Amino acid sequence: MMPAALGTGILLLVIGIWGILMGRNLFKTIICLSLMEGGVLVLLIASGFVPGGVPPIEPILDGPAVNPIPQAFAVTAIVIGAGNTALGLAFLAAWHHAGGSLDPDGETGGAEL
Amino acid sequence: MRGKGALVLLGCAALAFRLCQGLAGVILPARTITGPAEHYLAHGAAETGSANLVSAILFDYRGLDTLGEVAVIFAAVTGTALLFGGTRIRYGFSGLSVLVKLGMALVLPFIVVYAVSIMVFGHLTPGGGFQGGTVFATVTILLCIVYGAGFERLHFKPRLKEFLEAGGGLLFIGAGLAGLVAGGAFLSNLSAGFPKGTIGSLVSGGFIPLLNIIVGIKVGAGLASLFFSMVKDLDAGETEDQGHNGVNGEAPPS
Repeated sequence: MMPAALGTGILLLVIGIWGILMGRNLFKTIICLSLMEGGVLVLLIASGFVPGGVPPIEPILDGPAVNPIPQAFAVTAIVIGAGNTALGLAFLAAWHHAGGSLDPDGETGGAEL
Repeated sequence: MRGKGALVLLGCAALAFRLCQGLAGVILPARTITGPAEHYLAHGAAETGSANLVSAILFDYRGLDTLGEVAVIFAAVTGTALLFGGTRIRYGFSGLSVLVKLGMALVLPFIVVYAVSIMVFGHLTPGGGFQGGTVFATVTILLCIVYGAGFERLHFKPRLKEFLEAGGGLLFIGAGLAGLVAGGAFLSNLSAGFPKGTIGSLVSGGFIPLLNIIVGIKVGAGLASLFFSMVKDLDAGETEDQGHNGVNGEAPPS
């Protein structure tokens, strides 16, 4: 199970980086950022896993509990990620409505935010 | 262009390989818990009164982190509302068919109860303010999709959501200051004399249940107003003529 988590996390992260480097569309850039975030979260949760672990909720009866700190971090990171994505998309929408191009190298059409 | 693609692909593959190499040593080996987590697992419930140790960390040990996170949401919501602030909208979309509307009305109470139970029992079971608030925000999303943004705006005023969002942040700071006034540090819980209660009962863990509810309201209102800010613009784009009026309802700068 752990190699699968490792592979999935790194794959998501690298797909996100590849999309940011190669994408010709700012919308896809923001989606790729959120994809990278997903990969990091998978790795973060996996790093707190203990073989045979149980949820860190009292009473902890059978087996060792997994590390609760990465889980607490992931909870906050998910909500922050949603806020980041929303703000990025809002900027993009405002930019596009003002006449800017979605292509990072494209014409700005004199648009100003 | 093709050369660049091949180069980037090669770089990404090399990065993935190095990451696998580096992180395999961290993630793969069977390990035991060390560091602060060891202390949290051994003494967390006794020290905070919260059975869910993730909640104990979020709202007690690392409450200041959570306060910073609350500030980030506030910034995101404010920024989005500002960018879409003055959009003038004519609501043309009157919702999906009556079947979907009735089904939605049937499901809605259960969603609300589920959200509230995740929020209120956050210190006992998996869940908490963030998760419950996110479920709560789906009510707004579903209403916007099924009934249209106009209905949503009529029944849940955007201004109310922004008020709840900002008020939640202030209440969080107020809870922290209460610890300061009671004689402990900022955001200190049991050490400031808040009642511990019996671990595992609904009223336990000092102000952790209270913070769960505050954060739940705040995150729910915040995510709902994030979504609403965007979807009302989408609605406007559908109903208005081809010449979009620009974000602020003014002519685009020439």
